[in-house]
Amino acid sequence: MATAAATGMVAAPRPSLLDRFSRAVDRYVLFLFTALAIVYLMLPVAVMALFSFNDPIGRSNVAWRAFTLDAWLSPFGVPGLEDAVWTSIRIAFVSTIVATALGTLIALALVRYRFRGQGTANLLIFLPMATPEIILGASLLTMFVALGQPPFFPLNELTILIAHIMFNISFVVVTVRARLAGFDRNLEEAAMDLGANEWTTFWRVTFPLILPGVMAAALLAFSLSIDDFVITNFTAGRTVTFPMFIWGAQRIGIPPQVNVIGTLIFAVAVGLVAISTLLQSRNARRAARLRTVA
Amino acid sequence: MNDLPKHIIPPALTRRRFIQGSTVAGFSAFLAACGSRGTGSAAPSASVPSSGPSASVAASDTPAPQLSPSAELVFANWPLYIDTDENDETKHKTLEDFTAKYGTKVEYSEVINDNNEFFGTLRVPLEAGQDSGWDIVVLTQWMAGRLVRLGWLEKFDKANLPNYVANLEDVYKGPDFDPTNDYHAPWQGGMTGLGFDSAVTGQLTSSAALWDAKWAGRVTFLSEMRDTMGIALQKLGYDPGQVTSAQFDEAIAEIKKAVDADIIRAFTGNEYAEDLVSGNVVLAMAWSGDIIQKKLEKETLEWVAPDEGGTLWYDNMLIPKGAAHKYTAELMIDFVYDPVIAAQVEAWVNYICPVKGAQAELAKIDEELAANPLIFPTPEILAKVKRFKSLTEAEEREFDDKFSELIGV
Amino acid sequence: MGTLLKRHRGLIPFLLLAPGVLWLLVFYAYPAVQMFISSFWSGTLETGFSFSLDNWTTYPAAIERYSEQFGRSVAFAGAATILAFLVGFPLAYAIAFRGGRYKALLLFLVIAPFFTSFLLRTFSWKIILGDDGMVIGPLKEIGLVDSGFRVLATPIAVVSGITYNFLPFMTLPMYVALEKLDKRLIEAAQDLYAGPWRPGGTIAGALFGAGTFALLAAIFGFDVLVMALAGGVVGGIVGTLFLSEAFVRVTLPLALPGVFAGTLLTFIPAMGDYVNAALLGNPSTNMIGNVIQSRFLTNADYPTAAALSFILMAAILVAVAAYARLLGTESLTTGRGV
Repeated sequence: MATAAATGMVAAPRPSLLDRFSRAVDRYVLFLFTALAIVYLMLPVAVMALFSFNDPIGRSNVAWRAFTLDAWLSPFGVPGLEDAVWTSIRIAFVSTIVATALGTLIALALVRYRFRGQGTANLLIFLPMATPEIILGASLLTMFVALGQPPFFPLNELTILIAHIMFNISFVVVTVRARLAGFDRNLEEAAMDLGANEWTTFWRVTFPLILPGVMAAALLAFSLSIDDFVITNFTAGRTVTFPMFIWGAQRIGIPPQVNVIGTLIFAVAVGLVAISTLLQSRNARRAARLRTVA
Repeated sequence: MNDLPKHIIPPALTRRRFIQGSTVAGFSAFLAACGSRGTGSAAPSASVPSSGPSASVAASDTPAPQLSPSAELVFANWPLYIDTDENDETKHKTLEDFTAKYGTKVEYSEVINDNNEFFGTLRVPLEAGQDSGWDIVVLTQWMAGRLVRLGWLEKFDKANLPNYVANLEDVYKGPDFDPTNDYHAPWQGGMTGLGFDSAVTGQLTSSAALWDAKWAGRVTFLSEMRDTMGIALQKLGYDPGQVTSAQFDEAIAEIKKAVDADIIRAFTGNEYAEDLVSGNVVLAMAWSGDIIQKKLEKETLEWVAPDEGGTLWYDNMLIPKGAAHKYTAELMIDFVYDPVIAAQVEAWVNYICPVKGAQAELAKIDEELAANPLIFPTPEILAKVKRFKSLTEAEEREFDDKFSELIGV
Repeated sequence: MGTLLKRHRGLIPFLLLAPGVLWLLVFYAYPAVQMFISSFWSGTLETGFSFSLDNWTTYPAAIERYSEQFGRSVAFAGAATILAFLVGFPLAYAIAFRGGRYKALLLFLVIAPFFTSFLLRTFSWKIILGDDGMVIGPLKEIGLVDSGFRVLATPIAVVSGITYNFLPFMTLPMYVALEKLDKRLIEAAQDLYAGPWRPGGTIAGALFGAGTFALLAAIFGFDVLVMALAGGVVGGIVGTLFLSEAFVRVTLPLALPGVFAGTLLTFIPAMGDYVNAALLGNPSTNMIGNVIQSRFLTNADYPTAAALSFILMAAILVAVAAYARLLGTESLTTGRGV
């Protein structure tokens, strides 16, 4: 560290007691802080998972009574829960696909090309992220209501879908754009020099390389959609999604089955990320091996 | 119902959309006539949006073809409001009995959590003259009054409702919002009073306890305007059935004192019940049936009608205008007015039963419940609870507005 | 197809943009306009709504009636942002600089709670912080707090809830900025004799600590002077131990875009939040989000609700613009630096 000594000009000052103390603290305190922060972040998740094993008397799952696997054995034993979960998953699935497609296209346009109206386009993409959810939901509700009630816009799954795609686009754009920004255009040029047209280049070179970014964006969009409550609340009409079911249920008591579903969603998400990380590291290792061979 | 405001066509409905609406109505009438919407009232009930009660009379006067129960019935209700199988919460014996008798599959959804919220979902299709998707909904009497006022309910064909006509308890007959009982059929009644954890607060009897600083931060009032104001008005000595604007303001000021003194923890819907069980709340304005049910989870919970007076309300089965299976809905209403079935429901729900003869039937199943004064209130208890006045639209808006301001929204 | 594309090269970006932008125009921009129009309605659900420019009075009326909730939203969102920063920055720093092999894992742990329903998480907090629950119950039994003590249904609970919900939003952008930082710059600074910043670090830390604690005290209603003093002491200690010149002159400025993005991503949604206030608060902690929700869904008072929404949007845009000017970063819309 004190490379000045190499020049021989000035001797590095001897670290004072305070310096040594602060360095020690630095090492351990940050570690402790991080550990505490992680515990703090995971605490409600742990409690949620714990209470899925609870055996409440009526519906009040607020205090621990006894351990039981009942809720896990019949996770859909509460009326309406199954429909709500499938509705949420359906909506999340479709909105993710559409939003990821639309958003990726936009990101490509914004990063690759210079054109008039770029600033406006940027603003339009950014604004939904800067708008509080309640305003997004409320304005959509106002529009659906003001359009009257032709069969086009009864508030139902379609309106929820529309809303979810809308707010997901911005997040997809931001995520993919970050990935695109670090993209090496030379690879594309090389491909085209070798005779590939734009279409082929895109699918064989560009897309596989931005795929991790697109996948990350899709994952983000999926989790935003499946967890959305505020916007859905405004545009749902009679449809019930999983978060809305929870909101309704919390008035009389959230049954342990809801905790089970929540824990399952968490486990699946964690599992997916773990798998993708493992795959990525395996690919990286394979690529490294190929490189050493080449 | 003396100053029934003229139902003005929403100006958002421009002439173009009016034509659009009629086209849609015409089209759905065409569909209905083709029988693709199930049997029952074949009359085109998806009429032009400016319908009032007169229009619905015309609808049911149209001679209907041979009526038979439809294949399905869509029924919306509050949670925990019908007898439920202990092991499988999706099974309800009463509905299964109905299916056994008529062959109709009942799609039962416990989606109603709040009158206003549910009204918001009904409003959109009904305002445009569309089928709301529900055959039966259950809403509190003041909301039923608003729906009658708006002309958004189907009128009963009393010929299909012999049990209802015969067995409805007299106290529910002829309310001011529906003097001929043509649009609503009480499902369950309830009383609002004091719910408390007797282990902490001891035995309470007076509304004044709700203002007691001893329980500061552990008291909840209700977000239901009529219930909260009803109790406050009676604490001040007024009759909620005759409430005036000035009295209302006084009651608001009274509650504001408790808000400012940080006594009131929250204005809740059903959530207070969970908080009573967990101990976060020790005293709440509570609904009688809730406490009976939660007593299983915490034995020390009690409910009393306060000395100064509590409120009486009741939830009603209503058939929204344009319901696809009106006849079958009427069959269902009549079915639950059979004292045997009513007793079956009552054994589980524990609110006030509006069906004559149900008490005797319940005594055969469960004597203790049949004797429970909260389910079949004695005249003494009934004397302590009052109904809130049926409000005109202007009054409702004024009171709702002032109450919203009180609770901070 | 290839030649077609080549001939209309200039069109390509527009073709790519078209579907997404169209969607946003129809389902974001148009509804916003529609909502603006509806704020000039008068009437009720039953009598119908009619448009009239004379109804501009809805705006001042709404501001006057709900100024308390507006102020509270700003205060709570501000407090939550500050708290999220105080927790998130060291966390981001720790992961970026000390994470080593475990960077990805730690980052994942920070985002992981995101994968559960935030309603369930908030409700879990309600269980954890219950008056006789797993945290407060034992404290009461030991006698550390008196029996009337509670965390739920207080402003602290609401702000804690908001902070918790948005902590990942604050941490992630700061982590990204810190991670991208070229560590060699710091090494270079240290080679050039950048050492611990004394006494500047102590003073700066003390001032920052005093300032933030005083602000929080004002928001929560604690004794401002006492809290400022406490903050000063804590800040001073932290400053002495951790604020090195390299940190202040190299790390912090380069991390600024991340701080900017993080605080915005926290403050803006927090302003419109109502779920935390609904589940963890009391009637005196209602935020403007609760009012808007009630006006829309419960009272169907669309004009006022729309007006309030617009005022909220305007306030946010003003705050963002001022903030951007202050920090002088354009990383917001151009996508560079974030």
